[in-house]
Amino acid sequence: MRVALIRVALVAVLLGIWELIGRTANPLLYVPPSAAVPALGRLLRLESYPDLGEHLLLTVREIVVAYAMAIAAGLGCGFALGLNRLVGRAYGPILAALYAVPAVVWYPSLMLFFGLDAASKIAFGFLLGFFPITLAVLAGIRQVNTQLVTVARAFGASGLTVFRKVMLPSMLFTLVGGLRTGLALTVIGVIVGEVLGSKAGMGSLINHAYGLFRTADYVALVLVTLVLIVGSDAIATLVEHRAQRWTE
Amino acid sequence: MRILQLVSIAVILGAWEAVARAGWVDPLFVPAPSAVAYAFAKVAASAFAGLGDTLAKTAIAYVLSVVLGVAGGVLLGSVRPVRQAVNPFVIALYGMPKILVLPWIVLMLGFGTLPAVVYGTIHGVFPILVLVTGAVRDVDRSLLTVARAFGARRWQLYWKVVLPAIVPTVLVGMRLGLVFCLLGVLIVEMFAGVRGMGHVMSSLANGFQAPELFAATALVSAASIVIVLSLDALNDRLSHWRGDVR
Amino acid sequence: MSELIVVDAVDKRYVTSSGPVDALRGVSLAVGAGEFCTLIGPSGCGKSTLLGMLGGLVHPDGGRVLVDGRPVDAPDPRRVATVFQDAGLFPWRTTLENVEFGLELQGVPRDRRRATAVELLGPLGLRDFAGKYPRELSGGMRQRVAIGRALAIDTPIVLMDEPFGALDEQTRLLMGEWLLDIWRRTRKTVVFVTHSLHEALALSTRVIVMTARPGRIKSVIDLPMPYPRAMESSDLVALRAKLWSEIREESLRAMGEA
Repeated sequence: MRVALIRVALVAVLLGIWELIGRTANPLLYVPPSAAVPALGRLLRLESYPDLGEHLLLTVREIVVAYAMAIAAGLGCGFALGLNRLVGRAYGPILAALYAVPAVVWYPSLMLFFGLDAASKIAFGFLLGFFPITLAVLAGIRQVNTQLVTVARAFGASGLTVFRKVMLPSMLFTLVGGLRTGLALTVIGVIVGEVLGSKAGMGSLINHAYGLFRTADYVALVLVTLVLIVGSDAIATLVEHRAQRWTE
Repeated sequence: MRILQLVSIAVILGAWEAVARAGWVDPLFVPAPSAVAYAFAKVAASAFAGLGDTLAKTAIAYVLSVVLGVAGGVLLGSVRPVRQAVNPFVIALYGMPKILVLPWIVLMLGFGTLPAVVYGTIHGVFPILVLVTGAVRDVDRSLLTVARAFGARRWQLYWKVVLPAIVPTVLVGMRLGLVFCLLGVLIVEMFAGVRGMGHVMSSLANGFQAPELFAATALVSAASIVIVLSLDALNDRLSHWRGDVR
Repeated sequence: MSELIVVDAVDKRYVTSSGPVDALRGVSLAVGAGEFCTLIGPSGCGKSTLLGMLGGLVHPDGGRVLVDGRPVDAPDPRRVATVFQDAGLFPWRTTLENVEFGLELQGVPRDRRRATAVELLGPLGLRDFAGKYPRELSGGMRQRVAIGRALAIDTPIVLMDEPFGALDEQTRLLMGEWLLDIWRRTRKTVVFVTHSLHEALALSTRVIVMTARPGRIKSVIDLPMPYPRAMESSDLVALRAKLWSEIREESLRAMGEA
């Protein structure tokens, strides 16, 4: 209880300091909460950006498509590398090496190839989300108790059955965790892609507001985007909890 | 194993070269590996200069991230009330895409080295902070009791027990932090047109200079891999007392 | 014989989730210099708590603990060294570095503390393992390092909390012989906590039996026999029976209560 109060107090103090700075300093740089709230209102009433809905929808669409691709490729690659020992040991290190490269280095190439449209954002989001999912599959397979597999085989279970009834349940938890991280990263990828260069989507609106020094609108856009991000993570957490209950 | 990997890479490069030469892909978008190699010589000067710039900024941001991350992590890990109050914010900030504050940072700090370093630090500090906090919390209590039994004073407990105990985790965090710092610096360079590899690659992309861009991308990727692998080797050497597999 | 350690009517109470628990109540005892004093009793009788008080790690709620005439309120590495049940070696330090630890804390210069540690390795039987890490050592070896660490700071008193508890029986017996040899050579005062009747009788000059919780002194048995102990001699056999009957009584009480 006391801890919750301390946290609330911290937030209140921070907001207070921010308000103070905002009132005395350059309004182009510091937008106090008292100015951000009306800006948010203007945004939601579609006054500052009338086509907010389209942009929001586009961003969501990009995320969904990128994520679907990341799941498909991530699971496919993960199982291909994880179930076949030779393939895994050969290409695993290459995957790990690629993971050591900050993903944004691929982005200019994607922009050159796909242009400024949604495709490059989807591709980038896919790239970012793909790795954690693959790694989660690999980790999940590694932690399956081989003794359980042996027991199942001894009872005459076929390869597919072993997979469905022994491996999958044991790795479900790790897998879902990886899927959740993958979603978070896909979202980040799409938004980064939009901010770095796009004609539409939430990131482009943020860019636009920043370019015109419409700082209050920029803050409002950031808040809306944050809601989108937190919302997607909340959905993912819900699914994760459901999955946990299934595995218990 | 090595042979299989090298052969696969050679096969992919060979197929790519053949496909490009046969004209099945637009050379504007997908240049042949030979064209990329050729372009590398052309663009080497600016690419290496850009890489040097980027790495310099990354180095500064990295040092800051490590210092802040370790110091903050030790503080949060040891002082329970502070941790309980602050931790949720740290976790929230860790998960938040920092790109959202980038326009504001550039607005405030302009288009120089400073925003790149600041943004890189913001990116790199969080994984280190979170990992070190966890490691300090998980230090084996009985080791602290032993040290106290032998008369260790407060600072000695930190210096001789906590810090050596968290070294493996710090190294893991440093590996993550490095990639994150580099990521942050590159993003700023691409966003704000600041000198450096990010800007070089952005310009090449805008100019549709595909072979040069691929060459530059390969260069920065190779640099990143080399640096991270070196860190891994360092990690192995410093953690050999653990004996367990990473 | 001067009384080096005095425990005067000491109480200790812990607050647990199921209410307050009296670990020790009105415990008084004295240990003279050069003795090998064993504390024995059923689980939960507070012997480790009592040892913790002697080492300055636990504070009594009532009464006081005096070492060398001075009250104990913090660990005193100049007078008391402790050996713990799980060795508690620092995994990132080699054998030598672990043995040196106490000396390092006291600011002893590198060469001197290295020399002290190296010298100890001989009697510890660890000369070939100076540069090894704890994970490379067996349980018995690790305990020897822990004992070496305690001996290195050369305190008059050494406390040992079931140091051989985690070892198999054969190793325990060998370690007991070895410890006896070290003790007789160094003439230190040892307070030793154990569950083992054999250890109590084979090693100690005095055995203190504690009651079930809340712990009190049940009885004190002096063992003036010479070393090495002839465990089959009639007086030791009789003492063993007596010791066991007392401990058994308290163990049953402890179990009945639990």
